[in-house]
Amino acid sequence: MSGVNRLPAPAGLLVDHDQPISFEFEGKRYKGLAGDCIASALAANDQWLISRSFKYHRPRGVLTMAGQDANVLVQLPTDPNVLADRYPITEGLRVHGQHYTGSLEKDRDAWIGTFAKFLPIGFYYKAFYKPKGAWQKWAPLIRRKAGLGVVDPTVDPGYYDKQYKFYDVVVIGGGPAGMQAAVTAAQAGAEVLLVDENPVLGGSLTYARFDIDEPNSEVTRQRLLAAIKASEHIEVMTDATCNGWFTDNWLAVIRGKRLYKVRAREVVLAAGVMEQPATFGNNDLPGVVLGSAAQRLIRLYGIRPGRRAVILTGNDDGYGVALDLAAVGIDVAAIVDMRSQSRSTPLVDAVREGGIKVILGHTVYEAIGTDRHIKAVMVSRIIRRGQCEDTGDVIDCDLLCVSVGYIPTYQLALHAGAKLHYDDESAMFSISDVPQHMRLAGSVNGIYDLDAVLADGRRAGWLAANALGLKWEREPLAPENTGASGRNFAWPIFPHPNGKDFVDYDEDLQVADIINATRDGYEDVQLVKRYSTVGMGPSQGRNSALTTARLVADAMGRTVAETGVTTARPPFAPERIAHCAGRSFYPERHSSMHHRHLEAGAQMLLAGVWLRPAYYGGKGERDRCMSEESLNVRNNVGLVDVSTLGGIEVRGPDAGEFMNRIYTFAYVKQQVGRGRYVVMTNEQGVVIDDGVACRFHEHLYYVTATTGGVDRVYQNMLRWNAQWRLNIDVGHVTNAWCGVNIAGPRSRDVLAKLCTDVDLSAQGFPYMGVREGRVAGIPARLLRVGFVGELGYEVHVPQHGGEALWDAMMEAGYAEGIKPFGIETQRLLRLEKGHIIIGQDTDAMSHPGEVHLAWAIARKKPFFVGGRSIQEIERRPFSRKLAGFVVNDLAAPIPQESHLVLRDNAMTGRVTSCYYSPTIGKPIGLAFMAPDQAVPGQTVSIRSTGGVLVRAEIVELPFYDPENKRQEM
Amino acid sequence: MATTQPAQHPRRSMIYRILREAGAEFEALADAAVAMRYADGGDEVALARRLGLADLSPLARTGFKGRDTPDWLVTQQVAIPDEPGQARRQSDDALVLRLSADEHVIVSDLRTRSELPATLDAEWQLSAERMCYHMPRADSYCWFAISGECATEMLAKVCGVDLRLDKFDDGRIAQTSLARINAVIVRNDLGTTPAFYVLADSASADYLWPCLIDAMKEFEGGIVGLAALRALV
Repeated sequence: MSGVNRLPAPAGLLVDHDQPISFEFEGKRYKGLAGDCIASALAANDQWLISRSFKYHRPRGVLTMAGQDANVLVQLPTDPNVLADRYPITEGLRVHGQHYTGSLEKDRDAWIGTFAKFLPIGFYYKAFYKPKGAWQKWAPLIRRKAGLGVVDPTVDPGYYDKQYKFYDVVVIGGGPAGMQAAVTAAQAGAEVLLVDENPVLGGSLTYARFDIDEPNSEVTRQRLLAAIKASEHIEVMTDATCNGWFTDNWLAVIRGKRLYKVRAREVVLAAGVMEQPATFGNNDLPGVVLGSAAQRLIRLYGIRPGRRAVILTGNDDGYGVALDLAAVGIDVAAIVDMRSQSRSTPLVDAVREGGIKVILGHTVYEAIGTDRHIKAVMVSRIIRRGQCEDTGDVIDCDLLCVSVGYIPTYQLALHAGAKLHYDDESAMFSISDVPQHMRLAGSVNGIYDLDAVLADGRRAGWLAANALGLKWEREPLAPENTGASGRNFAWPIFPHPNGKDFVDYDEDLQVADIINATRDGYEDVQLVKRYSTVGMGPSQGRNSALTTARLVADAMGRTVAETGVTTARPPFAPERIAHCAGRSFYPERHSSMHHRHLEAGAQMLLAGVWLRPAYYGGKGERDRCMSEESLNVRNNVGLVDVSTLGGIEVRGPDAGEFMNRIYTFAYVKQQVGRGRYVVMTNEQGVVIDDGVACRFHEHLYYVTATTGGVDRVYQNMLRWNAQWRLNIDVGHVTNAWCGVNIAGPRSRDVLAKLCTDVDLSAQGFPYMGVREGRVAGIPARLLRVGFVGELGYEVHVPQHGGEALWDAMMEAGYAEGIKPFGIETQRLLRLEKGHIIIGQDTDAMSHPGEVHLAWAIARKKPFFVGGRSIQEIERRPFSRKLAGFVVNDLAAPIPQESHLVLRDNAMTGRVTSCYYSPTIGKPIGLAFMAPDQAVPGQTVSIRSTGGVLVRAEIVELPFYDPENKRQEM
Repeated sequence: MATTQPAQHPRRSMIYRILREAGAEFEALADAAVAMRYADGGDEVALARRLGLADLSPLARTGFKGRDTPDWLVTQQVAIPDEPGQARRQSDDALVLRLSADEHVIVSDLRTRSELPATLDAEWQLSAERMCYHMPRADSYCWFAISGECATEMLAKVCGVDLRLDKFDDGRIAQTSLARINAVIVRNDLGTTPAFYVLADSASADYLWPCLIDAMKEFEGGIVGLAALRALV
């Protein structure tokens, strides 16, 4: 026996009586059965207190048994806020209640509820905001006293991932309507996915009593299961929650540790309804449950939910609950029917024939209990809508089942744009304006009679298939008798003078809280939500939306239909961030020489999505390595991987004209075999990229671009030529080519060992020349450029030949002392040469004139992108200027990027680049500053690390080799 | 054919180290080395039928784009697909992928008997009269093959296109995102075994390969050599 409340086998559709399971709750060992959830296993052991409430530390237990309330949130070692009525027990599972001080049974903070009257909604904002700064002191204390579970940030969430799925029809909800819809759509030939959050299909067929003849439900379920099993076109996902509808029927379905991204051509929503609680004093005590929760405990888990029960009802379903309780030996003390009279229906008649006492026109005024469970109810006569006598009969009971009405599971439909409407006459919500390619079926569609539900499912399945062009028999008729009449009692709300009449269990909101919100001026239900936080807890208004709408409507003198409910947005149920993240994909790009850098001990840095070698050496050796690497380039020969540079080919008869329009310089007359610097500006005249245009053919420019900017350059080119219609083609060839820059006074000597089909002499291959040849036997494009300010060559080869090129270069240069240098060193070297880096030394406002690029503008050509703007900008005085500076005080902290340039303690600019230069022997840098400060010989103040003011002397650029003798050797 | 090592050749697959660590036996193929089989790889053909991943990057391929490209290819005796998004097998088993109306990629057959990619590269000349431009697809793309009955389900973990066999015919092309990088996926069944070629950014090969291996795990898929794929044809 797995607990005193466990019914004998074979009771419980989900549990296996032959498989006992041990687990712990609050440090005490319990026995459950395979198939039990935490809440059912605890209920089997008569443990009804599961957790404590958010604000008042009220004892809380099972309410819905459907994962629809926050009363059963528990703490696992790895996870907070786990729904105990959904989470299955496993051997050795350790579970704790949440949000208590001391022990769950004796919570030292339970006194807070006593002072509820003094803690209205928003009390902390009102009470603790003054004097200024008080909130910062109070907030930690208040936050400790209120809350949910505790996250352990050290827990590894495990492996989560995602998978795409595609179906003709996705049916959400595996109850009778959903099962029938799936069968019908599949019969027509549609490929169907049937999603249900429960472990087995059947929905209400597995627990609810549709009629007197109880086995009929199971017969129907078995018939539908057989049809589903027989179909090749239906895939079933149980234990899966469709957590959101997104555009074009994109459905987020979560099962286990996987998020399925499901695309459906047609959706049938058969998500059923959510039974609603009633509002009365102490309506949150453990032992007060929804009627459907008691039925779930009995039928799904084989649990006897109490010994002596009272039913509070406003419809005939409560009578069915009474029959179910009586059938498992529970003494049903009374049915308290809010209605003044009941009709003669099979269920009502059966109850009367069974001798169960029925009290009409009454309600439960309050539940009476210990500090952790109900022990009686006071039943009072209803005087008028929402009001009852404040005295009545006390009936002893340890279970109160509430059956007063339903609300459709509307969330997914509303995600899709449907509307929720309230009918004041029937006191029911209905869903309208359902978008194309979505259909409702069953009780979510306002249909309750089982035959009608099946007919509605059949019709929805047929319509979905028909929309796909799949013809199957004749269109089924819509069911006539919906069975909806009388399901909802219009006003099951009886405020208690002492409060504890909870509207929202998640946030401990009582009737007075909602009413007071309207009196505070929040007259719209949306504002009430934001002010009171009603519906913002873990259950997202499932149990509070209807009552809130009714209360706000009443307070404001409107109808509920006019008041409406708050918006529903994804996710439908709480979901883990791990589900959203999935198996993380962080693309990285490596050049073909990447592994050689790692083997050489490079420290890698991320440049966009590229991994690039920063420098070669230990983690703490940056400055030393940069110094050695830079001096080796200046005095000898170095090799740097430049594969990440963007590569674009502009080819075609109009290539020269295109280059002239897209870049600032002139290119039509550029000679074949020559390279020319390029600057790209946008329409506002802002510098957005640079590089070198290499003319390898009259109709071919091979253009380099910055690593991070090449995609934008490519897009710009395509966009502009879509207007210009020039006879060219633009090819993005960045990843087709890799390259190295071999630089230093001995670079020619090294290259000459590997390249014999190109005249490498200064005359044969001058500065800014470009050539094609073979290097180490690999076809190559050679560019004689000088980014680092030394004799140097960029050698570009096809990507898959990059490693062989690197190997050959390193081997050929061994005698010359070749050494690789990293990107950090390259940045230092180019700074010494006064070259800017677009994006580092420029920003989103930089025009060519203020960053020393005015020389790269061809003034005589009729047009280039940004040309007109640059003309206008240059007519006005500059507001800033990029200038070079040196720090002569070697003891001063070296300025860093973004350190401020000051004048009289006011900011005039910022540092964009700064390094200690071993060649110059002092820190050098570039900074924006006021134009009148950017005059060589002037001194400016830079607020450096620790707020230290550093004096910097403005100097002419470049810092190194102003006559360009080194690069033009 | 004698075994060799990739580092002995000028053209090297971007992931040859991963393959080497997995026990690849390489064979020379023109100026590169291809992973032909794997030591202790067991029955690679059976694996390829269930779910296999092979690196075909060393095999020949090329590309051309521009409005005159279809005409030029036809003059070169290439049977081009009728529509973009389709691939067409040539008489020598090379495959021509039509990515758009004007852009084509030509990939070698698995037995590397076809000389079409090399021939086209040799024949092509930049010309002012013809809007047909070379695209260096041999280097811009890495080339992987994913084969087997679980291939579509595995790809559904990393790709948002419906690649189910009854929805995505043999010879059909998807230009899409695969594990968050751009990729060309073409279905090219090997005999009766469903198979897909993946052409993706070569600089991302180091990244993509482990992503695919990871996605294959739950299907007990594995790495196979070129020889296993050849055996399927």
